[in-house]
Amino acid sequence: MPRTDFTEQLRRRLVELGCPIVQVRRLVQEVADHHEDLKQAALSEGLSETDAESRANVQLGDPLVLAEHLMAALRRSSWWGRHFLIGFCLLPLLAVPVLWTLFLMLGLSLEFALGFGWDWKKLHVATDNPVAFHHLVLALHGADYVAIALVTLLFCWLARRSGVSLKWMVIACAICSLYASFVYARIWPHNFEVGITWTPQWIEAAIPLLIAGAIYAFRRRTTQCFQEKVAV
Amino acid sequence: MVRGIVTAMKKTNPSFLNGVPELLVLRLLSRREMYGYQIVEEIRTQTGETLSFGEGCIYPYLHYLEAEKQVSSQRREVEGRNRNYYKLTARGRKRLEELTTEWKRVTTGVSLLMEEQHA
Repeated sequence: MPRTDFTEQLRRRLVELGCPIVQVRRLVQEVADHHEDLKQAALSEGLSETDAESRANVQLGDPLVLAEHLMAALRRSSWWGRHFLIGFCLLPLLAVPVLWTLFLMLGLSLEFALGFGWDWKKLHVATDNPVAFHHLVLALHGADYVAIALVTLLFCWLARRSGVSLKWMVIACAICSLYASFVYARIWPHNFEVGITWTPQWIEAAIPLLIAGAIYAFRRRTTQCFQEKVAV
Repeated sequence: MVRGIVTAMKKTNPSFLNGVPELLVLRLLSRREMYGYQIVEEIRTQTGETLSFGEGCIYPYLHYLEAEKQVSSQRREVEGRNRNYYKLTARGRKRLEELTTEWKRVTTGVSLLMEEQHA
């Protein structure tokens, strides 16, 4: 197996396993360096170029198995990778409402600061004006959508970084979607409330699922690109 | 070989044997900075070829140790070749001391038992 095949197979398998691109580049580079060292050692022993190449390949072992080991090490190196069941199933159940509330409040504070300069009087005046109140409702919806998207992206990022299987990311996104469909934030003139409703909110529920779908499609596309590259 | 030993004895004393590759790598890096190929070669030669890593298997260990902040790495060009050099950190030195103490404790215990059996 020529060296390029070896490194391409390693690269492709790492991408398939969900290894972050930065890590893929580094791992492949290091293994390629190691391969070159093994080859040089074989050449110095008097082996031909082809034999030295073959021996280096045998010594490095199966690139697919090596990729599995590298990914296992990546998972072992982070708390999220070691405790994926807690991190992506149990923790989101507790953390999503808290994080959603936090991001929502941050978003609303930002809008309040930018729109009204932290002036409560201006806000009260705006709520009495139907047009301005309509803008406030839209701003609240925007903050709500952004908050749920940020919570979802946070778990997706953690899943990606720790190198866990895609299914754990999807599970975390599904939990985010479930919460998003039942928690709400509403605004009334001179009043604001956050709570739980039994009427599903389809737009909010769709956001985490869309994010999961987009990441899944991106990963599939990246893997296919690598496969096509290797095939060529 | 190390992995074989680790797998074979994992069932009886995981906390001890899981640390053997880690101990070897940390010990070597406590002497000087090295890159992956050098570490594998040093383990092979310095253990009289009794122990050897699978050539590619060193990298999962090195990356794990780096993530644990026990070693740090730097890419450098030496003699026209770019390589990732690994060196021990303060945390790695502390971990090495712990593993060395544990290793000595266990080998002393095992030796005592073996000597008793021979007597």
